Amino acid sequence: MFKRWRSLLRVLAQRRDFEAGMSEELRFHLEQNIAELVRSGMSRQEAARQARMELGSFDSVKEDCREERGLHLFDEFRRELRYAARLLCKTPGFTATALLTLAVCLGANLTIFAVVDSILLRPLPFPHPDRLVTIFNTYPKAGVERDGSSITNYYERRGRLAAFTSLSIYAYSTEIIGEPGSTEREQTMRVSPDFFATLGLGPAIGRTFTDEETTSQTDHVAILSDAFWRQHFNATSAVIGEQIRVNSVPRTVIGVLPPNFRFLSSDARVFLPLASRPEDRTPANRHSGGNVIQMIARLQPTASLAQAQSELDAQNAVLELDDPQAKMIADAGFRSLIVPLHADHVAAIRPTLLLLQAAALALLLIGAVNLVNLLLVRASSRVKELAVRQALGASRGHVISEVVVETTLLTLSGGLLGLAVGAGGIQALRAFATDHLPLGSRIAFDLRLALVSLAASIVLGIAFAVPVAWFNLRRHLDSALQSESRGGTTTRATQFLRHGFIVSQIALALMLLAGAGLLGLSLQRALAVSPGFQSDHVLTGQILLPYADYPDGPSRLAFLSNLLDHVQHLPGVLSAGVVSNVPFSGRNGKSAATVAGHVRQPGESARGHYSYAVAGDYFRSMGFSLRAGRFLSADDSRRSDGVCVVDEDFAAYYWPHGNAIGQRLWEGGEPGKADDAFTVVGVVGGVKQAGLTADEAQGAVYYPYIYHVTDSVFVTVRTSLRPESLALTLQKAVRQVDPNIPVSDIRSMNTRIADSLVARRSPALLAGLFSAIALLLTAIGTYGVLSYAVAQRRREIGLRMALGAQPAQIRRQFFYVSLRLLAAGTLLGLIGAWLTGQAMQAILFHVPALNLSIFAAATSVMALLTLAACLLPSHRAAHISPLAALADD
Amino acid sequence: MHKTADLLPGTLDMLILKAVSLKPLHGYGVLQRIRQISRETLEIPQGSLYPALYRLEHHALITAEWGQSENNRRAKYYRLTPAGRRRLRDETAGWNRLASAIAAALNTTPEEI
Repeated sequence: MFKRWRSLLRVLAQRRDFEAGMSEELRFHLEQNIAELVRSGMSRQEAARQARMELGSFDSVKEDCREERGLHLFDEFRRELRYAARLLCKTPGFTATALLTLAVCLGANLTIFAVVDSILLRPLPFPHPDRLVTIFNTYPKAGVERDGSSITNYYERRGRLAAFTSLSIYAYSTEIIGEPGSTEREQTMRVSPDFFATLGLGPAIGRTFTDEETTSQTDHVAILSDAFWRQHFNATSAVIGEQIRVNSVPRTVIGVLPPNFRFLSSDARVFLPLASRPEDRTPANRHSGGNVIQMIARLQPTASLAQAQSELDAQNAVLELDDPQAKMIADAGFRSLIVPLHADHVAAIRPTLLLLQAAALALLLIGAVNLVNLLLVRASSRVKELAVRQALGASRGHVISEVVVETTLLTLSGGLLGLAVGAGGIQALRAFATDHLPLGSRIAFDLRLALVSLAASIVLGIAFAVPVAWFNLRRHLDSALQSESRGGTTTRATQFLRHGFIVSQIALALMLLAGAGLLGLSLQRALAVSPGFQSDHVLTGQILLPYADYPDGPSRLAFLSNLLDHVQHLPGVLSAGVVSNVPFSGRNGKSAATVAGHVRQPGESARGHYSYAVAGDYFRSMGFSLRAGRFLSADDSRRSDGVCVVDEDFAAYYWPHGNAIGQRLWEGGEPGKADDAFTVVGVVGGVKQAGLTADEAQGAVYYPYIYHVTDSVFVTVRTSLRPESLALTLQKAVRQVDPNIPVSDIRSMNTRIADSLVARRSPALLAGLFSAIALLLTAIGTYGVLSYAVAQRRREIGLRMALGAQPAQIRRQFFYVSLRLLAAGTLLGLIGAWLTGQAMQAILFHVPALNLSIFAAATSVMALLTLAACLLPSHRAAHISPLAALADD
Repeated sequence: MHKTADLLPGTLDMLILKAVSLKPLHGYGVLQRIRQISRETLEIPQGSLYPALYRLEHHALITAEWGQSENNRRAKYYRLTPAGRRRLRDETAGWNRLASAIAAALNTTPEEI
């Protein structure tokens, strides 16, 4: 079998040689035969005649030979291909419409599928990625859905849970890397020693971290990413043992990761040990995750997720027995959950992506329906030709294969154009949205996608062929031969089919339009939410204070005060402040606060709140409104009794009667000593830390910087200028105070807000684009079918007009047809739109599935468009001249 | 003119294999060789010869190669492949079994029953 295929392929590849060789061989045979006959005494002329007779006709021998080599099917296919191509060229308008429709619809699907594929389908780039899970603590009753894991969790679980082969923790961070004078802020990861073993992918050169390297005295080692190694060490393998400076402290390079190493969406280029002190590992620290440290684990090959979960639950139950905070933890509904790593990482974007893919498929369906309709119209104009050919003996198989070849040629060409459109779409997505997509850098246009989409075009071509072949083979052919018109007749069934297609098109387009409208409305409602401050004219940038130079609160505060002094006097700056975590930063960890005198109701647990450390004029620079009392001032970091400011959500929760000023509270889940309490001196507007669409009023507490020291801070600057124009000035100002500290993530507050909405804006824009195309396609489809109906009934209309029918009557008749189609399509479409709205609830913000104004608007757009599309054909029908109509054909 | 016999169906391929097994031959040579080795009894219909050659080549029982003919013309020469040699051996054995069985059957006399 294999040999035969090879022989056929060889012949196909050298078809010209094959044909020439065959002719030469037969000619040689003839000459030999003639020579022999002449030798036996025949005249040359007689011999030639005799030889030709004995061999038979050249062409039929050749055809037999080709058939023996399996070439005849191929030749037949080529003939049909050529015929189909000729037919398509004869109707350039139809072909162009079809190709354009296919290119756009397939391209849109390819683009979205590329994203779906890279984010949802392609497994993570580690061995046996389906065994990787993530584990996090949750305290749902305290309003903390997700709190990461603690260092204590890690040391308590490591090696003690049989369901896991390996378990490790990591934290994302940023570090200042480089020699004094040429420092850069780099994305880094701090990981436990077994992190790489859990993933199953470790350094290509050198070794991983050891347990001895997990204290802050011994953690002076680093593992580099391939990219960092190439950029800074010229890819030399002698890098092991070299030093790099991280936050001004030298560390020894002990390993380099392989080029394809990428952990989820992280851009980390340097990996450091996750060091901790003995006291960080004690039970007291068990619930201090704060969503900073995350845990991953690899399941045993035989263990199930449920098994692992029950094992972990059992361990947690035992550990909580002697936990001093056991009551509070239990009240908060504490559990540690195990979920698959990949699914968890993409959970937020999954519904959006699936919805967009569904929208793209709906678009393809609309386009496909359009094409089938156009193909049917085309087929009915060729009814007579086909009838004649079938009468002359064309087989059913032949008729079918001819249709299949034609439609597949069409869809495959459209598919090739679609590849170009899709490649462009993917490029555009990479340029605009990759930063905001999880696992984003993996989106690529590759051979696999190209093959998938070409295979899809072939399937589409065969699907198109089914109704057309059915139409061509039906028994209306006899009557077609007898009927006098060239076009043939339309039967009820085909008309029903065509109208059904229009109805489904209108319904689908309406669904898309309504869906896009819901997304748009949801975006608009999100944009209308106040972030809690005045976000315009604010520039923000992040800086990191290296431990080596700024080891404690006073030294850091000194640096920050110095910096703020400097920045405040820059031209164009109205006020400047510092905060430990700026709103919309993406870091939404919460921590507990305990209010003096607040008695928890039964079942009420400690609540998680946003905690901030502030310095300088933070509130004024961000434009927070003061509800009561005063803002924090620079002096508050210098006084011995702690004061704090809370936001109105916090105040409303604990002191609903509005007497917040003068109340006292402690950081943490338990009341502390009276001396450690903070006195509330002010109430400010509520803040949307996690994003405009975060509904929960979580509450916030602002402490003076010295009481809540962090090494990473954001500088906030209110300016009278365009905020972005101040970026360089800010950077220079920081360098003037300390040349080794770079500023990163410099963005205006408005940009931060806009970026936080990209997961809503991009789908809304794409859905809008899709529904615009859908509307256009539907208009084309409706117009095409109606004009065909008019053209087909020309004689009938002409006759009726000759007998006295008024143009208005004719126009009304066609208008009614389209009204009926519109009504049916709208009804189905509205039902579909309602279902779509239901399916979209997860990603809609404050928009119910049934939004009357959106539905009404979508319906009127649809109605206007459909009626406009049938205006021209019905107008044409009304102006048919009876004389001309009866005279032609 | 000798009296010629019609070919039994299915025997053409076998005869061609036999002819080219003796010595590589071009198409016309195959015709002559079969006529010669069948003592001028078997006449191959020329129209079926080439399709048969192409079929055998397609099934890799023979291979073809361009060479010089006796009168210095370019001609396509066919030779047996190892697979063809096996096939010829099998077919010969099969044919011999069949022929002797038929001969035995036809020579049966009433006494032998």
